[in-house]
Amino acid sequence: MNKTFDAIVIGGGHAGVEAAHALAAMGHNTLILSLTLDAIAFLACNPNIGGTGKGHLVKEIDALGGIMGILADKATIQTRMLNTGNGPAVQSLRAQVDKALYHRLAKAALETTPNLSILEGEATELLIENNTVKGIRTAMGDTYFAKAIILATGVYLDSRIIIGECIRETGPNGYIRSSKLSANLSRLGLSIRRFKTGTPARVLASSIDFSKMIPQYGDQGIPAFSYMTDYKVRNDYLCYLTYTNQTTHKIILDNLDKAPLYNGTISGIGPRYCPSIESKIVRFKDKERHQVFIEPEGADTTEMYVQGMSTSLPYDVQEKMLATIAGLENVKIMRYGYAIEYDCLDATEFYPTLQSKKIQGFFSAGQSNGSSGYEEAAAQGLMAGINAALYLEKREGLVLRRDQAYIGVLIDDLVTKGADEPYRMMTSRAEYRLQLRQDNADIRLTEIGRAVGLVKDDRYQKYLEHTAEIGRIQKMLSLTFSPDKIAEVFAMRGEPLPKSGLSAKDFLRRTALNADDLVKVSKEFAEVSPRALAYVETELKYEGYLEKQKREIREEARLEELALPADFDYDKVEGLLTEARQKLQKIKPLTIAQASRISGVTPADITVLIIYLKKKAAK
Amino acid sequence: MDTIVAESTSPVSAGAVGIVRLSGENALPLALRVFSSKEIASPDSVEPRKMILGMLRTDTLMDKAFCFYCKAPLSFTGEDVVEIQTHGGRAVIRSLIRTLVSFGARPALPGEFSKRAYLNGKLTLDAAEGIADLISARSEAEAMQAYRLLSGDLAKGIYASEERLTLALANLEVALDYPEELLEDTDTTCLGIVKSVLSDLKLLLAHSRDGKKIREGITVAIAGLPNAGKSSLLNALLKDERAIVTDIPGTTRDTLYETLEINGTPVNLVDTAGLRDTEDLIEKIGVAKAKDAINGADLVLLLEDGSVPQTKEEKELFLSLKNKKHIVVQSKSDAARYPREEADLCISSKTGENLGALLDRILADTGAKALADTAVLTRERHVFAVKKAVDALQCAVDNFFSVSPDCTAVDLRTACRALASITGDDVTEEVYEKIFSEFCVGK
Repeated sequence: MNKTFDAIVIGGGHAGVEAAHALAAMGHNTLILSLTLDAIAFLACNPNIGGTGKGHLVKEIDALGGIMGILADKATIQTRMLNTGNGPAVQSLRAQVDKALYHRLAKAALETTPNLSILEGEATELLIENNTVKGIRTAMGDTYFAKAIILATGVYLDSRIIIGECIRETGPNGYIRSSKLSANLSRLGLSIRRFKTGTPARVLASSIDFSKMIPQYGDQGIPAFSYMTDYKVRNDYLCYLTYTNQTTHKIILDNLDKAPLYNGTISGIGPRYCPSIESKIVRFKDKERHQVFIEPEGADTTEMYVQGMSTSLPYDVQEKMLATIAGLENVKIMRYGYAIEYDCLDATEFYPTLQSKKIQGFFSAGQSNGSSGYEEAAAQGLMAGINAALYLEKREGLVLRRDQAYIGVLIDDLVTKGADEPYRMMTSRAEYRLQLRQDNADIRLTEIGRAVGLVKDDRYQKYLEHTAEIGRIQKMLSLTFSPDKIAEVFAMRGEPLPKSGLSAKDFLRRTALNADDLVKVSKEFAEVSPRALAYVETELKYEGYLEKQKREIREEARLEELALPADFDYDKVEGLLTEARQKLQKIKPLTIAQASRISGVTPADITVLIIYLKKKAAK
Repeated sequence: MDTIVAESTSPVSAGAVGIVRLSGENALPLALRVFSSKEIASPDSVEPRKMILGMLRTDTLMDKAFCFYCKAPLSFTGEDVVEIQTHGGRAVIRSLIRTLVSFGARPALPGEFSKRAYLNGKLTLDAAEGIADLISARSEAEAMQAYRLLSGDLAKGIYASEERLTLALANLEVALDYPEELLEDTDTTCLGIVKSVLSDLKLLLAHSRDGKKIREGITVAIAGLPNAGKSSLLNALLKDERAIVTDIPGTTRDTLYETLEINGTPVNLVDTAGLRDTEDLIEKIGVAKAKDAINGADLVLLLEDGSVPQTKEEKELFLSLKNKKHIVVQSKSDAARYPREEADLCISSKTGENLGALLDRILADTGAKALADTAVLTRERHVFAVKKAVDALQCAVDNFFSVSPDCTAVDLRTACRALASITGDDVTEEVYEKIFSEFCVGK
């Protein structure tokens, strides 16, 4: 068997899958190594993909040529558009997916990707020469060689599962963990941190009384994740809403001494945005009830996920606590909720390309970088894959800016600020949120994916057709309607009728009117692509606010263009404040703009840097 | 780029002339709101690279001044640049900058002109060398100052506004990031909070306009006959450990200004020329100026030299101050042979006798102590930041019902960031802190 590859991806989770696919699709002979092939693209926690911020990430991955969107669409069993009433920028698609199907589809996708080898095995050691990666050694003692290595180990490094007093040294679902690699990475000089997360119980559908719960239906007629999906995704499964109550809370409070989170068993840092039920009860004592969603784990299973009840309480407390909830009185638990502790790296030791500052050719993506979530992992995996490929090709790395993509915000936050807790994407983290919408992800990113070589002809063709259609619609905006033609729609919407005619542009600008109304009054617009029209409408309605943000972006863009060498010696720069000097030395920003986002670096420090660069360039 | 403004006279060599520089696309229109000249019929008729004499009108004063316009890209920064040359003196410069800021200019950050020059390929190497040192020296000092200035009621006011605004933003953001979970938690008070913060900030801005004294400090003229010990007193006061010298000395013709900070209150000390009748033309001008300075001062220290007998001129001078707030100070107490009965205090600049008592009298007599406790925005940078917050909040309130919440969030975030530029907080982190401490979200 061939033991030499261009690149090796350690880990077959969501980051590993995207990284391996991107590398192979860009023509590089790639090996993906997974502890258990049955866990490829395993959805270890909630059975859904997307949601606020995360849905944007999936769209962006898709626009760049990644595969998460395509897989998610095929595995979808219910689909919803969140935030429809809060403005186009924050609208987010979320799909309930069939977990087993998602895994099979991802595995099949890898199996059919040219240039890609798939192997079950445990990497135990990185082989390094002159601070550059050479390959890996596996638990069996075998060696594999490559010029680029991507670490995508998720929560599997030295992980342990905690349920009350029961502690097992495994990964999620009883899958084996990686128990040697973390120590090896530490010996190589990488900082290791300990994070914690958790998941709720899974229960049997036939033991639930759904009549006591509120059914949650999918939304009809909403677009899919992938721009390549041209069929209607499945949307016939239901979720259910129920609530905790005072009895539930009392059981939890009475058993806090047995809660690993509160009795000192767990030392890892857990995420604030994903609290266990015991944390919610302790921190929000006055809240009378908490939401609990019952969601299907898949299409051909009756195992259900109890969203909102993540816990590491002992099994008997979990049983008692769930039985207090309306509809769960006779519930049969199939898998107990648990907390998981794991080792991860410090992302500030990596460049925005996700390449290590310490070891050349070494990349890291996903939870091993301190993030959380399938989508965050996949986004980093994709970028690490693209950048590893560009590194092999000796081309300049790809760093997406904060005004270009949520992916840019995600990675910049991770490598510039670092994460004190598992990092989750939220729309409020994006300062240019109005630009970063689901409806324009392809316009923002597909050309970039094309330039690096990941966007293939079929996707590019669709993109070109879409932009051409947008151009055509923009030319049609000067079409003017007479008052009698629009009178009916205006009356229906309660808009005062203009005396003279109204252009399509002004029509769409009005808050009370929308593209559907325009289609009703104009047969020309009835014939255009609804997606292109929706884009044009959003750009018009947001014009004023978008322009405000564009001004800020233009000013920032000039700083983004000023590159800082990776080996820049900040000790030589006179006039930097001490705190700024230390931070700059650690983070090693690649641009002046990134430097300016480091906390503790003041505008004066930035000017000192700019002037120093100038002096250096002149010499 | 927005238009920035700052004093460009080098702080280490301040002289009789003060220069205020504007850079940015609105530099010229802004300058023409404070400067007018017969030579300028319309904005298009301003001849670049030419000194133009005209009148300067700020919110508090009128004076002759020069204006010098450099059209982009032929300027220091590569942008449109206007320099206004005025008579030196802190009050003039500050009033000019304040007025320009009220019209929309933004106070420049340390080194920002140089940064723009560099970005536009305009900065020479020589200039860069010097500027870097200057900025580093200044930024330490500014960091200290920014910290010191934010104390008392003002700080409480700003922090409270920022806190409430962060809460309003968190209210909005939590609904956007957790649309499903807040079915019962959604807070409808966002608009209410925003409106109330807006009115508080507007009040703060209004006070900042009234609070001229706090911004510019109180003015104390030191008067007396020639050789009464005025300069010695000035120097002695500058050495008092409670008096922090905040500005580099600058002379305006023959009136010497010094600004001290006494217990946090800026005090402008004006050392006047010796007052006496004279035929000498130059001295005559000096005396006239001294009289102006006395008229404009909040308080006059009349120095009487106790080592020589009282003259008729001194008596007249004393009587002329009858309607002016004043303290009679008998100087040279170490060598006093002719005590003055009207003296309020006997001091010695040489031994330091009673100098502390004099400072206390100055603060008490001018009411400066009470003023210092009033919440007033003192720095142009702060005024600008609050103004920016007010504009953004006004926009949020005006459009609240006609735009979607993601747009309103843009305005609230702009306002939060403006206030955070004073407090130094990280808005994104503060909002998260609020979201996760105020709301039970996440599954």
